[in-house]
Amino acid sequence: MRQSPDNCFAELMRAAQAGDALAYARLLEQITPRIRQIVRGQRRFLRAEDIEDLVQDILLSVHTVRATYDPQRPFMPWLVAICRNRFADGARRYARSAAHEIHVENMAVTFVANPANNTMDNYGDVDELKEAIATLPAMQRDAIRMLKLGEMSLKEAAVARNMTIGALKVATHRAMTALRKMLAKER
Amino acid sequence: MTTDTKQLIRQLTENADPVRPLRRPSTRAAAWLVFSVAYIVLVLLIMPLQHDISQKLHDKLFIIEQIATLATGLAAAIAAFASIIPGYGRRWIMLPLLPLMTWLATLGPGCVRELNRYGFEHLPLQHNLWCFPFIVLLGAIPAIGMAVMLRCGAPLTPQLTAALGGLAAAGLANAGVRIIHPEDVSVMLLVWHVGSVMALSALAGSIGRYVLDWRSILKFDA
Repeated sequence: MRQSPDNCFAELMRAAQAGDALAYARLLEQITPRIRQIVRGQRRFLRAEDIEDLVQDILLSVHTVRATYDPQRPFMPWLVAICRNRFADGARRYARSAAHEIHVENMAVTFVANPANNTMDNYGDVDELKEAIATLPAMQRDAIRMLKLGEMSLKEAAVARNMTIGALKVATHRAMTALRKMLAKER
Repeated sequence: MTTDTKQLIRQLTENADPVRPLRRPSTRAAAWLVFSVAYIVLVLLIMPLQHDISQKLHDKLFIIEQIATLATGLAAAIAAFASIIPGYGRRWIMLPLLPLMTWLATLGPGCVRELNRYGFEHLPLQHNLWCFPFIVLLGAIPAIGMAVMLRCGAPLTPQLTAALGGLAAAGLANAGVRIIHPEDVSVMLLVWHVGSVMALSALAGSIGRYVLDWRSILKFDA
């Protein structure tokens, strides 16, 4: 005699609860089209990817609460109850988040003033910067070259220059202050 | 089946440790009741009795009231445990109504008597304010135990489940408080004891969404 799908699912779930991974994989594979069908029936307006998200959410819920399935009871009412609850939960979450969101159109301009509408910083005079770096004391010059131009980490630079990280930070700070002053003077 | 869903199933299967199916709601409620009663008895043994309980044991109304309170707690626990099982009949939620009505009915004759005696404006509502903290003290551990047990299920109706759990714990605690409670005035019992139990149940219901939430229980260790 052929088994009804419900009995088959119940048997697979019983085996899955006992730790049979193969039976569990078969069960999840067999109930996935059913879940998708239920989701499509209840949420006709959803896009295909949203339906798949919901199917995965339900599979995850089934996995989490699989201990609540009583092997003596039919399987499908248990599954349908989870599906319905996840629909309702999703709708509640959507309603809650929608209530706290304000949709704003993308604005092309923030303020009329030009500096507020720049999309990138202007580069200064590169040669001028190179000259300024060359005039720095050796330790500060190396700190700038390794950390700012070479993009080395503090640890790598400290090892390369045989300095402590603290000393390197101080040298970088002093170098940056000196460079700012030099470049401001020259402008 | 899309690749993502196939991949999810593979990951879920790899992480599928054996699980023990939850026992029936009535069995779980009985286990919770044994644990909770043991705690309440322990606390009552530590506390000095404030009145002679042996006299009260001959008072039929007191016995019915106590049985109804305990039954309310037990029925609410069964209903709470049933509400976390997908596909379980919703009629189980109504289970605590009958013992709750019986509990209220045991206070009814006394309330009517006092109303006739004192009138509405002079009803004796003065009360030993310790009764509310005592209900909280006696109900706290049963409530925690209930919350832990409820989190093993599916949070299908978080507020209702938590309210039923709160009613179970507070109802049981109230039965304990009535043993050490010195006063015995029906209107006062209705307002302070039933009121406290209902308030605690409502409080539990209001925080149910945070304690019993799908997002907090979803397990995915892949």
